[in-house]
Amino acid sequence: MTLEPSQSPAGGPTTRPYDDLLTQILAGAVDQDYVVAAQRRGDGGERSGGTPAFVVVVALFGILLGVSALKADQDRPVQAAERAQLVDQIHSRQARLDAMHNSLTTLQDDVTRRQAVLSSTLADEASLGDRLSALAVGAGTVAVTGPGVSVTVDDAPDSGSVPDGVIRDSDLQLLVNGLWEAGAEGVAIDGHRVTSLTSIRYAGRAITVDYRSLTPPYVVDAIGNPDTLPGRLLQSDGGKVWVELHTNLGIRFDIETSQSLTLPAYPNHRLIHARVMGGRP
Amino acid sequence: MIAVFGLIVGVLAGIFLEPTVPEALQPYLPIAVVAALDAVFGGLRAYLDGIFDDKVFVVSFVSNVLIAGLIVYLGDQLGVGGQLSTGVIVVLGIRIFSNVAAIRRHVFHA
Repeated sequence: MTLEPSQSPAGGPTTRPYDDLLTQILAGAVDQDYVVAAQRRGDGGERSGGTPAFVVVVALFGILLGVSALKADQDRPVQAAERAQLVDQIHSRQARLDAMHNSLTTLQDDVTRRQAVLSSTLADEASLGDRLSALAVGAGTVAVTGPGVSVTVDDAPDSGSVPDGVIRDSDLQLLVNGLWEAGAEGVAIDGHRVTSLTSIRYAGRAITVDYRSLTPPYVVDAIGNPDTLPGRLLQSDGGKVWVELHTNLGIRFDIETSQSLTLPAYPNHRLIHARVMGGRP
Repeated sequence: MIAVFGLIVGVLAGIFLEPTVPEALQPYLPIAVVAALDAVFGGLRAYLDGIFDDKVFVVSFVSNVLIAGLIVYLGDQLGVGGQLSTGVIVVLGIRIFSNVAAIRRHVFHA
């Protein structure tokens, strides 16, 4: 589009080349064609509309208006329906979101509660485990290693002539009980673990521990505090008896402390008594 | 007089005959109406100026509608149909406003 400075034929506003778009639009609002056509006719008068083409165009304009109005009117309910549908969707989604938020809160509470239960269960498990291992040492179900004392006893050298110089089962029972009394955590005789159910008997000419015959000298190992165990043993009833046996009959009674003793597990474990935790006995 | 008669007949025909606009042309209907309005107000102003010419009116009407529709069609093909229709409506709207202002000056001498 060339924008040459051109004087309007009717002396109208001049279109200058540097006018901006809006100014041009405003200045050229009236179709210059009318002015040009009027000049060409030379009279400056008007040719009023009466030709068939003019009527047809006016009628066309009317049809355009009518159809547009009709169409806009028809579209309105559709748009309203779509809008209502969207609003419904928004509401339903919001309701769903709220429900999900609620469910999230509930689930978070649930998680917190379950975590509390879990930690208390873990604490229970830890304490039960501690108790179990403490009991296992006493019950002899596990092998134990630790410091303790080793008591070696033997018949008197001249036991053939002095019948009292032979160690009897009751003597060994007294010794073991004395060790328990002195605070021993585990006791074994000649490598045989002694528990609360172990029998120490005299059978034939030998002492049996859990029906295994032993021959002197007997070595009684006890795990416990090596500093206090010998002293407390000597103060116990069993210890006093053994001191008398040693001094009066010459029976050997040696106590040695050791930093590392290993007691085997009690081999013949049978389940004698059981009950359900927290349930009916 | 005959113009008013033709307009009334056209509006009535559009409303009651309900001519079906082809689906492809429906998006251009609003633009065509605005372009036609521009031509009509331009003609009205020329009439009041005393220089109306029915041949010029017919040509400007048809070309206005066609060019406006063509611009928007082109925009649709290039993916800027919405922006181009906005531009066309702005330009035509400004022209309509200034034409109406001129008509107002004629009618009310103010």
